Amino acid sequence: MKFEGRCWRFGDNIPTDRLVKTQYVFEPMEILVQHVLEDLNPEFPKQVQPGDIVFAGKHFGQSSGRAIATKALQATGIGCVVAETFARTFYRNCFEVGLPALEVGLNPDFAADGDRVRVDLTTGEFTNLTTQTTIRGAAADPFLVDMLEAGGLISLAKNRPEVFR
Amino acid sequence: MNLVEKILARASGRESVEPGEIVVAKVDRLIMHDLSGYLTSQVYEKRVNVPIPDPERAVMVFDHHFAPPTEQQADVLQHNRRWARKHGLKLYDCGNGNLHHAAVRNGHIKPGMIVVGSDSHTPVHGTLGALAVALGNDSHAGTVLPYGKAWFKVPETTRVHLEGTPKPGVTPRDIALWLVGRIGEGELNYRAVEFGGPYVRGLSFWDRWLFPLLCVDLGAKCSFVEPDEVTEAFVRTLPGGDAGLLVHGDGEEAAQVLRFDVGEVDPQVACPPTVGNVKPVSEVAGTPVQYAELGGHGGGRLEDFRAAAQVLAGHKVHPDTRFHLVPSSREVFAEAAREGLVLALHEAGATWFPPSTGSNQAYNMGAMASDETMISTHARNFPGRNGSPDASMYLASSETVAASAVAGVIASREGGQA
Repeated sequence: MKFEGRCWRFGDNIPTDRLVKTQYVFEPMEILVQHVLEDLNPEFPKQVQPGDIVFAGKHFGQSSGRAIATKALQATGIGCVVAETFARTFYRNCFEVGLPALEVGLNPDFAADGDRVRVDLTTGEFTNLTTQTTIRGAAADPFLVDMLEAGGLISLAKNRPEVFR
Repeated sequence: MNLVEKILARASGRESVEPGEIVVAKVDRLIMHDLSGYLTSQVYEKRVNVPIPDPERAVMVFDHHFAPPTEQQADVLQHNRRWARKHGLKLYDCGNGNLHHAAVRNGHIKPGMIVVGSDSHTPVHGTLGALAVALGNDSHAGTVLPYGKAWFKVPETTRVHLEGTPKPGVTPRDIALWLVGRIGEGELNYRAVEFGGPYVRGLSFWDRWLFPLLCVDLGAKCSFVEPDEVTEAFVRTLPGGDAGLLVHGDGEEAAQVLRFDVGEVDPQVACPPTVGNVKPVSEVAGTPVQYAELGGHGGGRLEDFRAAAQVLAGHKVHPDTRFHLVPSSREVFAEAAREGLVLALHEAGATWFPPSTGSNQAYNMGAMASDETMISTHARNFPGRNGSPDASMYLASSETVAASAVAGVIASREGGQA
């Protein structure tokens, strides 16, 4: 699974509270998606294009494990989310909702806002096409790749109920 | 195998499991609060919507609300009530306390269980010797409710060994906050964390509780304290509590051991913007606080109100500070009333709120203006969780919170400001 797009760079320790702010939790997705990460970069929800790639720092998606944070990020149309490290509930939720995620380890200066980047989820390769450099992150577990290919956990459980019986 | 591996092996029908393996295991309990219950129900109704075969597996506690302030929030609670009634799920309505305390106090958490929930502090139930893991709404709606199962990756284990004797005035909460700063946010990502050593062994059940509570900030998947006579005695006090359910590890050492001497710790405060931004109280002493609160996942225990009553004896709450008291369960409020703490703290100028999770995310209370500051026993201090993203939240022990309520500024119990 490969993805290529424009990079949006975010920092360390960003909680899910900043992906979906508490006052919007009960609002429909059309509203949530207009406010994703706006406190950290007001241009992001306005300018993000389908296929763009978010590259965040350490412990991305900490705090509440609500899947709505990953769903709101997915609803912006991004192709993939890359982080130096993820909070585990966020990483899990990404695959469960069908949003590809790659963890690449500590590489704070690898890519900047606006760089062209490419992700290969199967090999774990993360390439900055602007600077022509590649690093290798953790390839996704085959169980998680299956989940993505099924379109998320609920679809996987419907298609292959024997896994959970 | 350790406790986590034994529980996962048993629940997945295997002889043994190894770190790194993915297993599908039977889940014993799903706990949801009013927010996670709502989000789970939305996914369930839209995408799954079959009868729930074992509704007794799931428990919902309304804790972010004790009396909804808006029609939209009233609608959310009504939706949850209808969903719970339709499927026969156990519901504790407004006023029953904080999700985790209410679930324990009402006998829904037992040693050896697999407990899941999307509240990120779900791993706190490792204090009882359960394997408790935070999952997302889609796991709950897609596999836990319809199949009674969930997928888990078997974690590597880190043992945090605590020894030494704390300085006078340093509480377990100070040690817990200090550990997050010392180990670092996210530094134990995906791991199981065992808290052990003579310091932990010497703590009461409710003081041990503060350690598995923080494991999420370290990035851990789950946490536990190896069950002993303290665990066993506590389990016997619970409805249906059966000490025969205790699961013990085989005693082999964890893959990684981190050792700390608690004797070097001073009273601590987690400063904005994250739980890992921990400093000695002395470094931020004198910061004005408009609110002080005992409540949330990290507070609202009987121990917290006893400590506050000691600090406030002979003093009044500062006129520029509101001091909120939020019991973690109905049982705690009753115990506080019997001990005379309710009247003593009321007369000292504090205000009691209904059992709930208090100002956690300000759904029912605790919104702040941009120039306001709160010091509390809550578990989170990220900007934007309490009204203005420019408002400040500091996390501290109940002693420091109470001393700050008296001083009107951040102050430690010893240390002069009070």
